[in-house]
Amino acid sequence: MRKLPFTFLLLIFGGVGVANPAELRVPPMVTAGNTFSIATSGRGEADFYLVGPGHVARQKIRLGEEIRIAGTDVRISGRYLAILRSAEGNTSAAFFVSAETPASLSFLAHPSRVPVGESQGIGAVAFPLDKFRNLVLQPVDVRFELQAKDAPPVSLVVQTKSGVAWTPMDSSRKAGVALLTAAVNGFRSTRVIQQVAATPCGLRVKAQRTARGLLVETDPVRDCLGNPVPDGTIVSFTIIGRKGKSTVDAPIKRGVASTQIPDPGAASISVASSVVIGNEIRVGEGQ
Amino acid sequence: MKLRLAPLCALILISAAIGTITIPATLRAATDTSAPKVKLDTSLMGPRAIEDITHKNIIRDYGLAWQTMARALAENQRDLLENGYLVGFAKERLTQALEDQVKIGVRVSYSHGVHNLQGIFYSPDGSAMELRDTAQVHIQVLDGNRVVHNEQATLRFIVLMTPGADRWQVRYLQAVP
Repeated sequence: MRKLPFTFLLLIFGGVGVANPAELRVPPMVTAGNTFSIATSGRGEADFYLVGPGHVARQKIRLGEEIRIAGTDVRISGRYLAILRSAEGNTSAAFFVSAETPASLSFLAHPSRVPVGESQGIGAVAFPLDKFRNLVLQPVDVRFELQAKDAPPVSLVVQTKSGVAWTPMDSSRKAGVALLTAAVNGFRSTRVIQQVAATPCGLRVKAQRTARGLLVETDPVRDCLGNPVPDGTIVSFTIIGRKGKSTVDAPIKRGVASTQIPDPGAASISVASSVVIGNEIRVGEGQ
Repeated sequence: MKLRLAPLCALILISAAIGTITIPATLRAATDTSAPKVKLDTSLMGPRAIEDITHKNIIRDYGLAWQTMARALAENQRDLLENGYLVGFAKERLTQALEDQVKIGVRVSYSHGVHNLQGIFYSPDGSAMELRDTAQVHIQVLDGNRVVHNEQATLRFIVLMTPGADRWQVRYLQAVP
């Protein structure tokens, strides 16, 4: 009789402790968008919850039967929780959804304007995505190709690591539009890169008297590879004469920069653009 | 016999009592929506070297992104996502999950230990950064006020962040095995 309270307590608390909630058997990994089933044990009804990164759902299910998970419920890759709530208690299991095969790319190309002949001047970065826009973390090959006008294409294949492939590329020697393409699994994404002349090379100035004073202008301004430096690039003319020093900035128009100045008398005129210094000429009365 | 039974009964009663104490404690933890502690290791990150200010901002903004996400999910408040710490895919997916949660009356609560970020990739032009996060999190799933799932887990995430006007933004966040 004395043992009764102890036995009673053990039955109550022990009974609670050994209650067997229904079991869930989930696959450890599922591919995004694929329909699959989760096996359950037990009898009776239960609430089933599916909690994922972009989808949360609840449904009534019968224990002991399989739960069919539609592909549309697991389109987003990540970690999912399958939870059962039944009269016997709650039970849960986690599984992962991985990306499908690549179907598109997030492609970054930088910069949009690059000087010609620049070693590793272009950066190409690609993130392969599946048809549900999940990042594809399995290694895949991405082909980068730079196609410039009048030049053979330059291409290379880079394997993704942790979902990203990147490569530096040299700009070509000719100014103009270049197409930078990244391709994976038959999908291509293209960016336009404007390759512009580098800094001027062999910058030369000349002067000519006119009725209004002195016309100072450059020869056609080109970079060291012979590409015309773009219109709008600023060229500075510096005039040192009896009245002191003055500087005139002029943009390149149709390949040359020019300015009209009052006759300075005897003076020296030099030319510069960016960090490049050109020649110096002397002008004087009677010239 | 009474003397022998007393400690056992006391033990059982204490165990039962702990059970009742534990529930509010876990609930309290799950509703903790302060910014989590974030550590960032960039020793293996490249090709661009991370700037000091960027290092600090990533730590701050990633923590605030998690705080935003945890609050939005715990309180079922979509408008919290408008603060700009989550954008693109990350925001879209979270918005969809919140819509589902609101529809069925379920909430997911996260509380955090430490988020250990490991830099993987920082693009040459500084326009994208990929990181791996190993985080200790406490997850609760609540249907109404009933806890249906309670879990302490170490989770790993792949994170893609991009710079915005005044902050780094989480653009992609995915748990990985």
